[in-house]
Formats: sequence, C-alpha cells, structure tokens
Amino acid sequence: MNGIIFALRSAVEDFGRNKLRTLLTSLGILIGVSSVVLLMAFGLGLKKYIENQFASLGTNLLRIVPGKILEGGSFRAGGPASLGGIKFDIKDVQSLEKISQVEYVLPVFSKSTTVDIGKRSELADIYASSADIFKGLNLKAAYGQIFTKSDVDKHAKIVVIGPKIAKKLFMYEDSAIGKNIKVEGQNFRIIGVLKAKGGGFGGPDLDSFLYMPYTTAMVFNPEKTFIALVVKTTDNANVAQIKKDINNRLLRRYNEDNFSVIQQEELLSAIGQIFSIMNLVLVSIAAISLVVGGVGIMNIMYVTVTERIKEIGIRRAIGATKRDILTQFMTEAVALSLFGGIMGLTISFLIVLGVQRFFPAYIDTMTITIALVVSSVIGIVFGVLPAKRAADLSPIDSIRYE
Amino acid sequence: MIHLANVSKDYLTDTDSVFSALKEVSLTIKRGECISIVGPSGSGKSTLMHIIGLLDKPTKGTVSIEGKNIAHLSDDELSKLRSQFVGFVFQQFNLINKLTILENVMLPALYARKALPFEAKSRAMELLTRFGIADKAKSYPNKISGGQQQRTAIARALMNNPKLILADEPTGNLDSKTGKEIMRLLTSLNKKESLTVIIVTHDPTIASRTKKKIHIRDGRLV
Ligand SMILES: Nc1ncnc2c1ncn2[C@@H]1O[C@H](COP(=O)(O)OP(=O)(O)O)[C@@H](O)[C@H]1O
Ligand SMILES: [Mg+2]
Repeated sequence: MNGIIFALRSAVEDFGRNKLRTLLTSLGILIGVSSVVLLMAFGLGLKKYIENQFASLGTNLLRIVPGKILEGGSFRAGGPASLGGIKFDIKDVQSLEKISQVEYVLPVFSKSTTVDIGKRSELADIYASSADIFKGLNLKAAYGQIFTKSDVDKHAKIVVIGPKIAKKLFMYEDSAIGKNIKVEGQNFRIIGVLKAKGGGFGGPDLDSFLYMPYTTAMVFNPEKTFIALVVKTTDNANVAQIKKDINNRLLRRYNEDNFSVIQQEELLSAIGQIFSIMNLVLVSIAAISLVVGGVGIMNIMYVTVTERIKEIGIRRAIGATKRDILTQFMTEAVALSLFGGIMGLTISFLIVLGVQRFFPAYIDTMTITIALVVSSVIGIVFGVLPAKRAADLSPIDSIRYE
Repeated sequence: MIHLANVSKDYLTDTDSVFSALKEVSLTIKRGECISIVGPSGSGKSTLMHIIGLLDKPTKGTVSIEGKNIAHLSDDELSKLRSQFVGFVFQQFNLINKLTILENVMLPALYARKALPFEAKSRAMELLTRFGIADKAKSYPNKISGGQQQRTAIARALMNNPKLILADEPTGNLDSKTGKEIMRLLTSLNKKESLTVIIVTHDPTIASRTKKKIHIRDGRLV
C-alpha cells in the first residue's frame, strides 16, 4: 500500500515534469470518456424527458389508436401495420363508456392548420375533444376558463388555447381572452389560456394547441371521425380486464390488426427499449476511441520504461521485487488513464451544464462510476504489457544501462 | 559470511565469441572485514561486486551467503536478500532524481515492507543528520553537491541495517578531498559498527586505506 502511494506520488511528479506529454497521452482517453459520457447523458436526459412528458399527461389512461403498434412489448418492426386504416367515431365512444370501471372516454380529433387574428397568422394544431380532456391531460386555465360539457353539447364556437400560441398571437397571454380567432375562415372566441405544461420536445406540445369541443370541430371533420380515443379508468381498476373488454367491443367493428389499446407503461417501456438500444450502439462506437486512447497509453508507457531502465535497475538493486516494479508502472498507467477520464468527465459536465437550457442532458452517478471504472480498466489493460516488460528487465543489465 | 568457489562469468560478445570477465575466482569474506578489490579498469571488479551483491549470477561456480547456496533462490528471494543483507554505493551515486533526498533514503525501507512510513522517515532523518545533510532532506539530487549525493547514497545503503556494504568506485566522481571524506565515512562504518565493507577501486592509494586488499587482473585474482 505504501508502495502504491509512493509510486503514485512519483507518477504524479513525472506527469508534472512532462506536462505536454501527459496531456497528449491522456487526450485519447479524454475524448473517449467525454464522448461516452455525453452520449449517455444525452440519451438519459432524453429518456427522462419523454417519461416526464408522458407522466404529466395523467395516469390511468389507455390510448386506442389505429393500426397495430406494439408487438411483444416493443414497437412493431417495419412500423405500425395498416396505420390509418380505420378511424373511430362517436359510436365507439359510447360503446366503450359502457364498460364498468371506465370513468370517461375522450374522443380525439386533431388537425394542423393556420389560424389568424386579422393581420397575424400562425400555424397551429387543433386538438378537439370533450370537456374531460382538461382533467385527463392535467391542464388548467391560467386566464379565463376551460370549456364545459354544456359548451360541447351546444357546439359552442369557442377555443381554449395553449400559452405558447397565445404569446405568439397576442404577445401577452391574458390579452387573448375574449378575442376572436379565425380558423379556416370560421370565427372562434377565445375563452381561456392554459397554464404552461413545458416541453414540446419529443412529446406532444400541449402548450401550442387550440383546444375546442369535438362537436364544434366537426366543421373541419366532415367524416365525424376521431384519430384516437383515450380511456380513463377508475383509480383501482383492473386494467387488464378493461383492455380485454375494450378489445372485445372494438373487435365487433374492426379487425384485430386495425387498432391498438396501449397502456402508458407499455409505451414507456417500448420507448425505453428503443433508447437503450440506440444508446448502446452509440456508446459502443464511442468506446472505440477509448481503445485508441488505451493504445496511446501503452505506447507512451513503453517509451517511459525504456527511458527509465537505469532507474529500474537502481530500484531492483535496493530491494524492489518484480512485483514492485510492475505495481509502479501499472499505477502510472492507471493514473494517466484516470487523469484522462477525470478530465473527460469534467469537460462533459461543463458541456452538459452549457446545453442544459436547450437540451435536458443529465449525468447520473452510474455514468460517473462507469467513466471512472472504464478509464481505470483501460489503464490496467494497456499498462500491463509495458509494466511487465519493466518488471522482467534483468537487474544487472538495467543497473549497467547508460 | 560470503564464500565464492570457482566463480566464472562469461559474456557473449557482439562477435558471438565468449568473453570471460571472471575466471575461477574463489574467495571468502568474513564478518566485519574491510576489504578493497583493486585492479585496472576492465579487470572484472564490478562484475565481481555484482555477483557478491546478488545482482548477478555466475556462469560457473557457487556463491554462498551464510553457508547457503544462492543458485536456487528465486527472483523474489534474491530481491529480499538484497534488500536486507546488502547496501550498494555506486560511482555515479545512482539516486532517483525525481525523488527527494529523504525519499531516496527511505525507499529501501518501503521495499523491505518492515517499517511503518513514519518509522522509516525518522530512521532516514537520523542517517541524514548523522551525515550532515539533514538540511537537504527536501532537496532533489541534482540540486546538491557530489559529496552530498554520495552521503545520501550511503545513508540509503544503511537504511535497512545491512550486514554488507558494497561500494563500487565510490570516490570515482569526486574531487580528492571529498573522496577522502567518503572513504573515511565508509571505513568508520566498518570500525564503529563492525559492518562488512567492500570497496572496489582502481586507485591503489584508496585501496591502501583498507586492511585487506584483493587484487584482480583480467578476471583473475592475483
Ligand atoms: N553485459 C556485458 N556483456 C559483455 N561484456 C561485458 C558485460 N559486462 C561487462 N563486460 C565486460 O567485462 C569486463 C569487466 O567489466 P567490469 O566488471 O565492469 O570491469 P571493471 O569494473 O573492473 O572496470 C569488461 O571488459 C567489460 O567490457
Ligand atoms: Mg567498474
């Protein structure tokens, strides 16, 4: 143990003497570690972000969408089968609402369009549903109010808009209330602006939508169909049973391949799987640069050993064993590699901090541990051959070496 | 204490012929002796010293320490014996330049793994004080004079309380005054601490300071 501390000290002193060489040698590890750490940080951040987005949509929700999306727990290879093959209608909503433990069923119609208020016009998405949509998606009004069941029944020509689109159109969110907005030539009165939900990256951007009663939206939807249904179950519902019931009811009208009933958790785990695979591929590619860095360390360690044959001879003469010499050079290789790793981590931290405002990158303790362990292991793996060579030098030839 | 019987050392030269640096050397070194090995340059003095100091093995013949043949010792056992039995002093001092004087002196104790760091440190400081270089403890070898470096090397050689001090041309890189001081120091180790001291030299006046002299020429004792 004392030996290691001593070796470490002399290694650090050596690094101080050869600053440029040390820096250049650990550069490979630095680059490798930072690319691995950054990829993990970005992957993790993105995954967390999407999970949060989904979680904020509310719980106990089942989504019914056209086409077969999941197969055996992951996304179906080759994309959803017969996507867009069917559309749901109000009969499906009424049928599903009869299932016990179903609180309500939200029909969803959405359409991208342009909206204008006199001179200004903007692209926006209509999101049409029943009054329960606000409960289901956890949306609250910041100004004005949300629409009610009676608005839906009356086909009221009103909209509740997201804060982002409100700002775009009116500068100040509260000044939107009571104003008229033209959607495809039809006038709607803005009765509310929602509280910001945040996000818009990867998930649906709930802050940019125009929410209106699905009955009113039928003017943009002559077929009176819905692109998706969202089923809210009661808190302690038997979700598996409900899924079965939904399936049975929908099978009366549609083929099995034409729709999916998806639980939030299933979607999350499927997304998680995609990210894990994507990340693994990227991280493996980045790991190649670590190997290159390791070879750099091995190279410089061979040079160091050759430069220090005399020193090795002296140490052997005063009692160092082969093992002592091995430990000394291994310690140096690991210190060199770990130095690169810590530098790489530091740089990654700074980059993550820098992009934090634009991208939810995130370095967790696992990533730090992996970075430190991997750089130590690289030092060991690539240091062992040069260190072995140093240890195997004959004491007499080394001490006579000039 | 040490016995060499018919020890020969052959080297393979560049031209693939065999060169005998030592030829059938037999000698006995007793505990507490102070001996000089004298001979011209290239006569095989260093080779002989390295064999006595367990850094090298003979091509033929046997070396015994305390009656034990060392031919069958493993590399680890030889390292341990070097660490505890022998202390080397070299012509070029052979200090490690990136370690301080104190660390250089402590190093043998760390390899011997017998003393705790603070014990090794106080013993090293004791030796440095005794040799008048305690104020240089934190200096680096290339910042002190040759005489001070050789004192450091002697302190390092004494660190593990060896039985035998082997000094190979210890005054070769020093001016004559400093050389005399170093010689006085080495011979006093023999007198005061009854350490066995072997001094290798090509200089007859240096050799004259020891009681016993072994002459060597072309690899043979004469
Ligand atoms: N590794 C070696 N290979 C070949 N010849 C060597 C080697 N080591 C020493 N010699 C030769 O052996 C002879 C004795 O060397 P050495 O013991 O160093 O002499 P000294 O110390 O008396 O000057 C010299 O001629 C030297 O060139
Ligand atoms: Mg010599």
